[in-house]
Amino acid sequence: MKYIIYILLSFNLMTFAISAEETRQVDKHEHGVGELNIAVEGSTIEFEFMIPGADIVGFEYVAKSDEDIAKINQALETFDDYTNIFTLPSNSLCELNGQKVALKEEDEHDDHDDHDEHDDHDEHAEENHNEFYAKYSFECGNINAIKEVNFPYFATFTNSGELEVQFISNMGSTSFEVEGDEPLINTDGKI
Amino acid sequence: MLLKLTFNSLYARLLTVGMTVFAISLSLMLYMSVEKLRTSAYTSFTDTISQTDLIVGARTSSVQLLLYSVFRIGNATNNITWESYEDVINKKEVAWSVPISLGDSHKGFRVMGTNSEFFKRYKFRGGQSIELEKGNNLDDLYDVIIGAGVAEKLNYSVGTPLIVSHGLQSFSDHDDQPFKVSGILAKTGTPVDNTVIVSLEAIEAIHVDWSTGAKIPGQITPVEEIRQMDLSPKNITAALIGVNSKLQIFQLQRWINEYPEESLSSILPGVALQELWRIVGVVENLLLGISVTVIFTTLIGMTAIIFSSLNERRREMAIWRAMGASPKVVIGLLMLEAFIISVMSIIVSIVMLFLTLYVLQPWIDNTYGILVNIETLSVKDIYIFMLFIIAASLVSLIPAIRAYWFSINDGMTIKI
Repeated sequence: MKYIIYILLSFNLMTFAISAEETRQVDKHEHGVGELNIAVEGSTIEFEFMIPGADIVGFEYVAKSDEDIAKINQALETFDDYTNIFTLPSNSLCELNGQKVALKEEDEHDDHDDHDEHDDHDEHAEENHNEFYAKYSFECGNINAIKEVNFPYFATFTNSGELEVQFISNMGSTSFEVEGDEPLINTDGKI
Repeated sequence: MLLKLTFNSLYARLLTVGMTVFAISLSLMLYMSVEKLRTSAYTSFTDTISQTDLIVGARTSSVQLLLYSVFRIGNATNNITWESYEDVINKKEVAWSVPISLGDSHKGFRVMGTNSEFFKRYKFRGGQSIELEKGNNLDDLYDVIIGAGVAEKLNYSVGTPLIVSHGLQSFSDHDDQPFKVSGILAKTGTPVDNTVIVSLEAIEAIHVDWSTGAKIPGQITPVEEIRQMDLSPKNITAALIGVNSKLQIFQLQRWINEYPEESLSSILPGVALQELWRIVGVVENLLLGISVTVIFTTLIGMTAIIFSSLNERRREMAIWRAMGASPKVVIGLLMLEAFIISVMSIIVSIVMLFLTLYVLQPWIDNTYGILVNIETLSVKDIYIFMLFIIAASLVSLIPAIRAYWFSINDGMTIKI
């Protein structure tokens, strides 16, 4: 019996030790800076947006009131139509063939296993960082005609700051910083 | 008629006009060379690495990772373990990878440990491969391949023995394990030229008798024994990675950046280069600002010279008037003069620029690794020239109007 207790104890300690050694890292999160990844391969072009909630709906706590929930839902609907976010030249003949829109609610206490003890959850609500995630995939008839990408995004979401763009194609990778006063990127010669 | 008159008038003042033209051409040349160096530096810079999709290293800023892994500037904050490296390269998205181990040096040149993949995968200038100019690959444990710059500066050839020093600026050498040059790479114009390349196993081998950065006193393992040892690398500094499809790259990047067992960073080289260039861009704008100011100053200088010559030329103008030229023609003559001076300056500056570039190109390439392309002028240059001519003609209006008043007041008799 004693041994069983020992064994159980040591297991317990072990899991404790493991959870204590678990690396802790938090993703960067900057209000006013949305991230956009663009990848081009063959005739496919993909856009992946990761935008802080503050830039879209003006808040980042978990929406509880009807008003806030409505705001979030409305924003998600706006993302559903990609032309609210960006537009591609029509002569590139790009057809949307896949999209995913989601709200990622990132709670800093999420990965703790002692969730039940967490009755002080609400106090930490302000530490939440919500992020809008949207991914669009296109098949293009003439991908080389994408000489620029325009971003109605800045007009659609008035809280939006800048977009940091990582771009990669067979021509190599590059980056752009897009802001509302010049809401476009020039991809001429980069695809 | 007017043109001929102006030419003759200018010819009569050959020395002053010549000096003016020279001064203006120098300033234009300054502007153009800054512009040329700027664009060439940018291309050389971005051409240093191509076709590598991701660079992986210990958690650090993207610029720093790029600087130490590709440009061999600065140092790594940490190394990454071989286990983590294997975890990364075993991901299905990864098509190929090149491990890189840095930290030692030879006479100021960085020593880089890598494997044969490096020679196959490292590409520069839009897809060129590095090639062996002389000698062989790394066949033996103690073989090194040196870049063209190292061979040239140290006067090494195939077979030259060399000793690797521990660290970058230290006095302790790995003198118990001498290397020998097995091959020399052709010139690339990239930091590879200034790199001493050894195998990853050799990096392990020279550190057999070392512990936490210092040599264990009195312990010398014979080379024969080392050769028998398991020298598989335990850690590396960075890795170059190629993916199967560009569409998977960001997914892989996120996976690496969130890798729980070790703090890793992965960057897209082009993105980091852009970031770095944005920092360097400040200096660039400063240089550009200076050269624009210089052009502006010479424009004012030109006006001043025309101005000061006005007094001496009152007689000339009187003659023009006597010949039947109206005061307006006098304005036209002076503006035409400025126009001719600026066009001549532009021509002279272009000739001077190309001569200088032609002479200095090899030196710039050797010293700074920047290949200045001597090519035709860009649209931007021509635009600037046009702007300069217009500005010069406009500025010359000031002395011209003064001359106009002179000629109205003086008529044909000069009142001084």
